[in-house]
Amino acid sequence: MRGTAKKNNHEIRDPIYAFIHMNSSEREVLNSAPVQRLRHIHQLALTSLVYPGATHRRFEHSLGVMELATRIYNAVLESGETEILGIDRGEYDGMYYRRVLRMAALIHDIGHAPFSHASEDLFPGDCNHEAMTLRLIESDEMEKIWVKLKIQSEDVAKLALGRNHPKKKTFSNTEAILSEIITGDAFGADRMDYLLRDSHHTGVAYGRFDHYRLIETLRILPKTYEGGSKEPALGVESGGLQSAEALLLARYFMFSQLYFHPVRRIYDIHLKEYLQAWLLGGRFPGDVTGLLNLTDNEVMAGIWRASRDPDLPGHDAAERIVMRNHYRVLYTRNPDDVLKCREAGLAIYTVACEVFGEENVRHDRPKVSASQVAFPVLELDERIVSSLLKSDVLRHIPEVAVDTVYIHPELLDAGRVWLNENRENIIESGSEPEDMT
Amino acid sequence: MKQIQRDGLLVELIDELTSYGSWCGETHIQKATYFLEAMMGIPLGFPYVLYKHGPFSFDLSDELASMRADALLEWEIKPEPYGNALKTTNVSAGLKARVPRALARYRPAISFVAGKFGTRGVKDLEKISTALYVTNEAPGRGCEARARRITELKPHITLDEAKEAVSFVDEMFREAEPVIREIGET
Repeated sequence: MRGTAKKNNHEIRDPIYAFIHMNSSEREVLNSAPVQRLRHIHQLALTSLVYPGATHRRFEHSLGVMELATRIYNAVLESGETEILGIDRGEYDGMYYRRVLRMAALIHDIGHAPFSHASEDLFPGDCNHEAMTLRLIESDEMEKIWVKLKIQSEDVAKLALGRNHPKKKTFSNTEAILSEIITGDAFGADRMDYLLRDSHHTGVAYGRFDHYRLIETLRILPKTYEGGSKEPALGVESGGLQSAEALLLARYFMFSQLYFHPVRRIYDIHLKEYLQAWLLGGRFPGDVTGLLNLTDNEVMAGIWRASRDPDLPGHDAAERIVMRNHYRVLYTRNPDDVLKCREAGLAIYTVACEVFGEENVRHDRPKVSASQVAFPVLELDERIVSSLLKSDVLRHIPEVAVDTVYIHPELLDAGRVWLNENRENIIESGSEPEDMT
Repeated sequence: MKQIQRDGLLVELIDELTSYGSWCGETHIQKATYFLEAMMGIPLGFPYVLYKHGPFSFDLSDELASMRADALLEWEIKPEPYGNALKTTNVSAGLKARVPRALARYRPAISFVAGKFGTRGVKDLEKISTALYVTNEAPGRGCEARARRITELKPHITLDEAKEAVSFVDEMFREAEPVIREIGET
């Protein structure tokens, strides 16, 4: 019989990895409402106002994370350094966890609100995108699919959310390592894919690195150089050190050039201001149905309308976004200032608000995750050493830090004159001893 | 607690650990900070999870990176058997000068923990901090039950090692009592 066998393996074209493969059961997860919604959530919020190519969505990123997580998993398991997973003791079902890992990678972003991180603060109460992801993983729609795939939703959530799991506070070595394959700060598939993909779409070439070589050399290694510790971590063979350096440099450059571009950041602030005015009670819905009904499309349609009608809520912020009339940079972080006053931006912002009015000044000081440049490296003679001992490059990669004050465009000239006259005094006074409260 | 006070206390902790002979890797700082919060009651506000080898705060890890970005800390790379150490800088001395009241209140507690941790290795710190985690998980539980819970959570720790770690934590609680009382009175 020809032509009657139902195709079980499917391939999806991808600009970074050429093809991404999945089977029919996995495709049910891809076709679920929470994952399909990611076609309508921009990966980089309003970054396309600065880098016009940045119109890609979380959907293709999620597929990419699944592909890379699978490659990392295969490479790590094939390397033989798997004692930590209990494979040799028969405690670990490698194929089961491969399936769980792939699905966890595919759904790791399903809880994101419109425009992803830009609007994270607008979830109600203690809710955040990780809590929403957990609720969606445990939803009736997804539970039915997990049953068909013969995997537990609890295991999917553990690996997808890792250390950010809202309920789980204890992790075994295996859980920690497998979730780090997806979400890890050093060699997680999430990070690798967003650097490669964002670089590709924005045209910012700094994000590229040799991920083929890096993945081939990844190993699970104990950090024995720390007083004989047996704590396992994702590390590299010495031959992969340069590709690991390239990844961490790519991260530094991409954060400096793209993710923390000051104009991109001010659009996040204007977007949040619009959403606070537009959303009921200034917050996203706290239920999964409400979240699934909301995408970037609804928000952009609202922004477009509000930009043309001064009577609609959020008109001012919407008009700034649509007409690209954003607030302008008044002050950016300067190493000399940091030595005098660590919160120089806050000091300038506080006084600028008194002089120009709070409504005309904005301050941006985002929290930045550690770059995790320290990891184990396996030498040719089987010794394990710290990456920082081996690599001058890693020792000197700076941590990214942002501290920016913006001002209304019509006040920019006056603001600059004022700052030139008062800058030193403000920064000096900002470094006085603080009372304990 | 304000960030400046929290970071001032972290700088003091690193200085104290160093003065008590610790090579002061991130694991030492992580576990000592956990004790400051979970045993001594200093409200530093770093959330901890029981990770691969004991309590770990990713927020604290990010905070240490932020302190490096602001020249308050720097790497000191040491060969085996030591790992990557963090040391304070001239800038961090200035930070401490800005939080005299916080330091006056919490210095005895910091010194107490640093004195207990200064000469201990990473493997020891992993065990005793897990023992404190398990102790706080269900206060009042006996030594044997806590030790079994440790081996259940962290199978690489033997029952004897777990019992030893629990006894150490119980003894440390007893010795810490006057220091904790002093913090409450100031």
